[in-house]
Amino acid sequence: MKEFKVRKGLLASLFVTAGILAACGGGEEEASQSKEEKVTVDIFQFKVEFKDQFEDVVELYEKENPDVNIDITTVGGGEDYGAALRSRFASGNEPAIFNIGGPQDVADWKEKLTDLSDTKAAGAALDGTLDGVTVEKEVLGLPYNQEGYGFVYNTRLFEEAGIDPASITDFASLEKAVKTLDSKKEELGLEAVFALPGKEAWVTGLHLSNTFLAPEFNHNVLDTFAADKVEFKYGDAFKKILDLQNDYSAQPSVSLDYSQQVEELFSLERVAIIQQGNWVYGSIAGIDQELADSGVGMMPIPVDGYEEGGLPVGVPMYWGVNSAKDEKVVEASKEFMDWLYTSDAGKKAVVEDFKFIPAYEGYDTSKITDPMSKAIYDASEAGETIGWVFMGYPTGWGEGEVGASIQKYLSDEASWEEVIESAKKAWETNRSK
Amino acid sequence: MRAKSFSYWLFLAPVLIALSLVVVVPMLLGVYYSFTSWNGIVTGSFVGLENYTNVFKDERFMDALWFTVKFSVVSVIMINVIGLSLALLVTSHVKSSKLLRTVFFMPNLIGGLILGFIWQFIFIKVFASIGEIIGMESLQGWLSTTSTGFWGLVILMSWQMAGYIMVIYIAYLEGMPKELLEASEIDGASTVQRFRFIVFPLVAPAFTVSMFLTLSNAFKLYDQNLSLTGGGPYNSTEMVAMEIFQTAFTQNVFAYAQAKAVIFFIIVALVALIQVYFNKRREVEM
Repeated sequence: MKEFKVRKGLLASLFVTAGILAACGGGEEEASQSKEEKVTVDIFQFKVEFKDQFEDVVELYEKENPDVNIDITTVGGGEDYGAALRSRFASGNEPAIFNIGGPQDVADWKEKLTDLSDTKAAGAALDGTLDGVTVEKEVLGLPYNQEGYGFVYNTRLFEEAGIDPASITDFASLEKAVKTLDSKKEELGLEAVFALPGKEAWVTGLHLSNTFLAPEFNHNVLDTFAADKVEFKYGDAFKKILDLQNDYSAQPSVSLDYSQQVEELFSLERVAIIQQGNWVYGSIAGIDQELADSGVGMMPIPVDGYEEGGLPVGVPMYWGVNSAKDEKVVEASKEFMDWLYTSDAGKKAVVEDFKFIPAYEGYDTSKITDPMSKAIYDASEAGETIGWVFMGYPTGWGEGEVGASIQKYLSDEASWEEVIESAKKAWETNRSK
Repeated sequence: MRAKSFSYWLFLAPVLIALSLVVVVPMLLGVYYSFTSWNGIVTGSFVGLENYTNVFKDERFMDALWFTVKFSVVSVIMINVIGLSLALLVTSHVKSSKLLRTVFFMPNLIGGLILGFIWQFIFIKVFASIGEIIGMESLQGWLSTTSTGFWGLVILMSWQMAGYIMVIYIAYLEGMPKELLEASEIDGASTVQRFRFIVFPLVAPAFTVSMFLTLSNAFKLYDQNLSLTGGGPYNSTEMVAMEIFQTAFTQNVFAYAQAKAVIFFIIVALVALIQVYFNKRREVEM
């Protein structure tokens, strides 16, 4: 940098520019003054899928409560949300309501989270859904909804191949069904039985690994978060399922992505089974509405050697309320959350418009229409579920470590032992920091 | 520095302010953050050089750096060779050279992210289909291995930048004195000799400029990398810019990522300056 004398001219021009900048900012101030009696609640949320429906519901709420003004900003896509949220906070423009995922987020944002244990919604939340966001009796988040995943299968193809999905109860029967499907590939018009999206580290590194690690950590996300090591007690079962999916998958599985898996291969009925969750409903419906509504089913991923298996069901994200905001805004935020999840109008919207599987009591669940959500809701009613513990993994471990090692394994660059070893080591290194 | 008039600063002020707000100040802040334990939410404590010492022990970063160096070397050679060839082609007396210039320049006008997705489709789908038809096994499964991912990136980058570099070469080629070329023709120089002893030295300044542009662009590549391979398989085609982004936004270690960014900045600056220095010495004065 060259040094230069600060001259009158520079100063003058600074003032001019400052004046221009101030003039630009003036508009907003005037606008907010007219709303002075109103409380403004800024919501910063991640779920793109229900953005429009959510905005409609908020409009309804604003009509009922003229003294509240709610602004929604939606930033989608898992990792982008975290980054965008941090930059929102860094810029000083803090939202009143924002999303947190699990224990790690709670630890990171603890300074900014209000205790919500006195809200009606927290009282109505289903057993276990608040575990991940409870710190010393304080409830720091409210669940969005429940989601679950497993093997999503095409019922028509199963029928034509003469397989009864109910007969698949363990790994052996699954393997048999897969072989049957594989032998009838030609007549069913299949490219392969599975589509394993090796490119999507979250599918393998978070979801698939969770199925085999949850039993090890008592299905409890907090136990997972507190664990110094990981054993991979069901590591062999993990390998079996991964190999089965890969051996009978459309190839090359290592570069297959979500859109190829769900939209191209499954929705066009070129594969019979995919490992995915009820969130694929929209993607399938966009291509084949009929298939999405009545042509799919969902079954658990069998864990060889573990009897009490089921569908992994959990809460993908929580609503947190910013404690740094002033009293009025915090109260208004809590009231809105209560209205959304416990009032009649709110409940109707949650099930019928958002198509959510509610994480709260007192819902008319006969309104859940799509078959995958129904399977998940029934499983959680019957208590036949596996917990979601991947929110308790060390930061970046699931995708960056396990997902990446599995890609190595799929391209024959690493043995299964190496995958397990490096994952164990990375877990311990991260936890010992 | 000459004393400048009042109006000079007046007109410069908006640019200076904008530049310092979005480039200079963030950069200095970044350097400061790299010495702390900043996690993106709170600044944290001062940790001295700890972040920097960790960077050199970070295998993933070193792999990314090595991959980036390899990619840059190959890309720079490819882009300059293709760019110069295209420039020679459109400045020779081919018909429709005006149209060709436009066509070759076009890829530059498309954003890197979009290009990445388009080429991803070409590599994965089109290559596979062509491979099936002509029975070439090597066209199957592109982008699913490290080497095909590498060449995929090189092809994409060369295709995108060659047209732009071509324009720079054209400017120098057209600015060449005709007398020299005519004289060489009368003296009986062959085409190869003419290129080697006259054209090449005279377009040397263009090499300096294009090398600088291609080198720094290849080093800093991010969006094409993200959309084409996403760093996969198993982070083996991850370049430095992407590795730094991942460190910050998926592992949430912001200060550490910032330290990597500072080191990266120094490397790119050094490489670019050394390259310009050596190329400058080779240029001939007219």
